[in-house]
Amino acid sequence: MLTIPKPQTINWQPIIKEFEAILGKNNVVRTREDLVAYECDGLTSYKQQPALVVLPRSTQEVSQVLKVCDRYSIPFVARGAGTGLSGGALPIANCVLIVTALMKQILEVDLENQRVIVQPGVINNWVTQAVSGAGFYYAPDPSSQIICSIGGNIAENSGGVHCLKYGVTTNHVLGLKVVLPNGEIIDVGGKIPEMPGYDLTGLFVGSEGTLGITTEITLKILKTPEAVHVLLADFESVDAAASTVSDIISAGIIPAGMEMMDNMSINAVEDTIASGCYPRDAVVILLIELDGLEVDVEECSRQVEAIARNNGARDITTAIAPEHRLKLWKGRKAAFAAMGKLSPDYYVQDGVIPRTKLPLVLAEIEELGNKYGYKVANVFHAGDGNLHPLILYDNSQKGALEQVELLGGEILKLCVRVGGSISGEHGIGADKKCYMPEMFTDADLETMQWVREVFDQKNLANPGKVLPSPRTCGEGAKPSHHQLLEIPRF
Amino acid sequence: MEATEIHQAFIEILEGVVLPSSAQLDQIKKSLTPNSELACVIYPRTQTELNQAIALASKHQIPILTSDSDLNWGGLVDFPTMGIGVNSSHLNQLIDHAVGDLTVTCEAGIKFKDLQNILAKSGQFLAIDPAYAETATIGEIVNTANTNSFRQRYGGIRDMLLGISFVRADGELVKAGGRVVKNVAGYDLMKLMTGAYGTLGIISQVTFRLYPLPQSDRTVIITGKADAINVARAKILTSTLTPWSMDIISQGILIKLGINAEIGLIIRFGGLNQGVDEQISRLAAIAQALNLEIKALTGNKTWQDMQNLFWQSDPAIICKIGTLPNLAVTNLLKISSKTPSVALQIHASSGLGILKYESSNISIADIQQIRNLLVSTGGFLTVLEAPINFKQQFDIWGYAGNATGIMSALKQKFDPQNILNPHRFI
Repeated sequence: MLTIPKPQTINWQPIIKEFEAILGKNNVVRTREDLVAYECDGLTSYKQQPALVVLPRSTQEVSQVLKVCDRYSIPFVARGAGTGLSGGALPIANCVLIVTALMKQILEVDLENQRVIVQPGVINNWVTQAVSGAGFYYAPDPSSQIICSIGGNIAENSGGVHCLKYGVTTNHVLGLKVVLPNGEIIDVGGKIPEMPGYDLTGLFVGSEGTLGITTEITLKILKTPEAVHVLLADFESVDAAASTVSDIISAGIIPAGMEMMDNMSINAVEDTIASGCYPRDAVVILLIELDGLEVDVEECSRQVEAIARNNGARDITTAIAPEHRLKLWKGRKAAFAAMGKLSPDYYVQDGVIPRTKLPLVLAEIEELGNKYGYKVANVFHAGDGNLHPLILYDNSQKGALEQVELLGGEILKLCVRVGGSISGEHGIGADKKCYMPEMFTDADLETMQWVREVFDQKNLANPGKVLPSPRTCGEGAKPSHHQLLEIPRF
Repeated sequence: MEATEIHQAFIEILEGVVLPSSAQLDQIKKSLTPNSELACVIYPRTQTELNQAIALASKHQIPILTSDSDLNWGGLVDFPTMGIGVNSSHLNQLIDHAVGDLTVTCEAGIKFKDLQNILAKSGQFLAIDPAYAETATIGEIVNTANTNSFRQRYGGIRDMLLGISFVRADGELVKAGGRVVKNVAGYDLMKLMTGAYGTLGIISQVTFRLYPLPQSDRTVIITGKADAINVARAKILTSTLTPWSMDIISQGILIKLGINAEIGLIIRFGGLNQGVDEQISRLAAIAQALNLEIKALTGNKTWQDMQNLFWQSDPAIICKIGTLPNLAVTNLLKISSKTPSVALQIHASSGLGILKYESSNISIADIQQIRNLLVSTGGFLTVLEAPINFKQQFDIWGYAGNATGIMSALKQKFDPQNILNPHRFI
C-alpha cells in the first residue's frame, strides 16, 4: 500500500537551483509569505504549505520538473485553479506544488471537427467563450466554471448542472498529452475516439493527479441548442418534487438540468440576492432546464408543466428569454455562497443516490442533522441523484468541525447503503479516502492501486490521496481530521 | 498439463465443462493461432464458478480464450501450452432493471438481444447497435467496444458503462464504478476494461445507463454528388439538427441497398413526433438547396440490411477505421476509388467507421496502404476480421502511439502470467 515518502532530509538548495534553471527565478515560489496562497484548495479547513511552488509554462517544462522530482524522489502535487472541494490539490509536507496557472493557452480551435485543444490552466468557461461566436459550447459546467481550470476538471472528472443530459467531463475528452511521474511524455487518445490500445484517456480522467500531469487536452464541443426553456416549480412536499423528477424521466424527457433546493436554501438565497423568484414558503423548488429544437422544447415544456401540476406543484414559472432564464438560475448559482447568511461556516458534502430514493434519503439526512444538532440545507442535482447537503456550523466552537465531518460521513454511508456513491463530482482527494472501503473491497482497492503503481512506481504523484492507507484509515471510515493528523486545521 | 488432466481438473469444480463439438471448435479456432491447443470449454453458471475456474487456471498457468459467440475480433490468441475456452453465456442473469433510475445491471453472458427485449417492455433501451446483435453477449460487446451508428447521439460503450465487475487473472472478483449515473469514486476501470478484449480480466457483471424509447424513429437517405454530400454533411453537423445516427456510406453499400449513387448520407432521427417531422423537413431543405436526392425509408429495415451486409456473409476482411470527420468524405472516395465494391460506413461526427472487403483477395499491402492514408491524417485502421493467415502476417491493431510502455505494464500488472487471451491485444 501507499506510504507517503518522507524527504525531510533533502537539501532543497540544489533542487531550487535546478527548478530556477528550468523555469526562471520568477516561476519558483519559495518564501513563506508567497506560499500562503497555495496552502489549501477549496477544502479550506485544512492547510499545509508546500516546500516550493513551481509554475511551468509548457509540456517540456512540466517534464523537466518531474524529472527533477523523480531524481530526488520528491513528492509533487498538481494544482489547477485550486477550487477543488475534496483536497485533491492540498499540498503535503515537503512536496513541490506544480501550479498550471501559466499554462492557459487555447492551442487549437477546430470548428470543422468540433474539437478544441487547450492547456490545463485554461479556465472552463474560456472554452465556451472561444467558440460561442460560431454557435458552439463546451458542455461540462461546474458551478465554479468562471474560475476553475480544465486541468482540474480533468483531474476530478467534474460535472455541473448540465451533465444530466450531456455527461460529465470524461464524456467530452478525446485525447490528452500526459507527463508521467517520471517525466516521460505520452499521448493518449487523439481527435478521434476509440483509438487503438487501452483507453488510457478514460482511465486518466478523474484520477485526481495521481497518474501524472496532463498538459494538453483535446475536448469535444457541442452545438448551442436552438431553444432553451427554464421552468421553476414550487412544491409543498419533497415527495411531490421527487415524484415530478421521476415522472419527467419516465416520460422519456431528459432535461439538460434538473435542480432541487429546499426551504432553507431558498430563504438563504432570497436573503442574499433578493431575486424575488423563489417563494419563501415553498418546501422545495425544482429548476428544470429543457433544450433542443424549438418544437421539441415547447412540447417537453408543456409535458413537464403537466407532470409538475399532477404532482401538486403550486406555481410554475417558465423563462424563455435569456435574461429571464438567468434570473431564475441566479439564486441556484448563489446558493452555496448564500449559506454565509445563515451560518458562519458550512461544510459541503457530495454524494450520489439512485434518484428514486430521494424522499427517503432527504428525510434521513434531516434526522441525522437533528441527531448531531446541525442544520442541513440541500441544494443539488436532482436529475442524477447527486446530493450536496450543506451542513451549517460555527468553526469557532471547539470540536464543531469534527462533529460536522462525522455527520458528513454518516450521510456518505447512507448514500452507499441505498446503492449510491461517496462522490458524484467533487472527487475523493484527501477528504474522503477513508470512506472508500464503504464502497470498495480490499481487492477492488488493490486493483486500483495496481493502476497507480504502473503509472507512478515511486509513489510521488499526489501521494496519500484517493486510495486509503492503513496508517491513516486502519480502523475503517474516518473523517478528514483523522486522516490528516499531521495537517493543521483552520 | 495434458488435455485430459485439465478437463478432469475443471470437471471437479464445475458442471459446465465440455469437450467442444467440431462445429464449436471450428468457431473457436477462428480466434486461435493454428498451433494452439484447446483442452475443453467451460461454461460457468455462477459468479463463484467463474472465480474458481479462473483461480484454477491461474494456479496451473492454463491460458484462456474467452469466446461467447460468433464474434471473433482482435488478434489471434496464442496458447504457449494447452489452454481452455471460457464461455460466459450461462452467466446470463438480469440483476436489476432500475426502471425509475434508467439503469440496468446484468451478468456479462446475457445476450444483447435478450436484454434489449426485456428493457423494451418498460419503454427503455440500451443505446447500442452492435455487430452480431442477435448473438453477441453484453460481455463481448464491452470487451470489443462494439457499437455502431448510435455513437452519433449516445457516444460509445465507454459512455454508457456505469459500473463493472470482473474476475482478475488470479481469480479474484473485483469491481469499479457503481449503479448510479454519476460517480467519481476511484479510478475509472470501466473505461480501461472497455475495448480491452478480455486481456485484463473476465467481465462478469455490468451496469449501464439506459434511455427512453422514442415516440418516433425515422430514417432518410440523401444521395448525389460527393462535393454536395460533403457540404450537406458539414451543414447538418453545424445546424441545430440532432440526429441519432448519421453515417456517410459508400457506393458499395448503396448498390446493395438498391440505390444507384456514388456516395450517400443515411440519417436517423428519434424523439417526439413533431420534433422528428420538423428535423426531416429542415433536412430536406438542406438537401434540396444542394440538388441532392432525399428519400424517406420505412422502418428500420435499411439499418438491419446494412448490419447484415457487414456481418452476415462469407469470409472477408473487416476493419474498424477512424478518420477526422472533415476528411471522411475525401477518404471514403479515395478508398472506394480503388475497389468500388468496398462497403464503407463512417459515422459523421466521431469519424469512426467500418470497412469491409468481400473478397479475401485483398492483399496486406492494400490494407497497409489504406492504413497509411488514414494514419497520415490523424486516423487509424484496426483489422477486426480476416482469415487466420492474414491476421498472422499483419499488425492488426496498428497502434502508432508512444504509450506502449504503460499499456504493456498494465497488462503485466493485471495478468503477470499472461493467461488471459494471450497475444490478442498487448
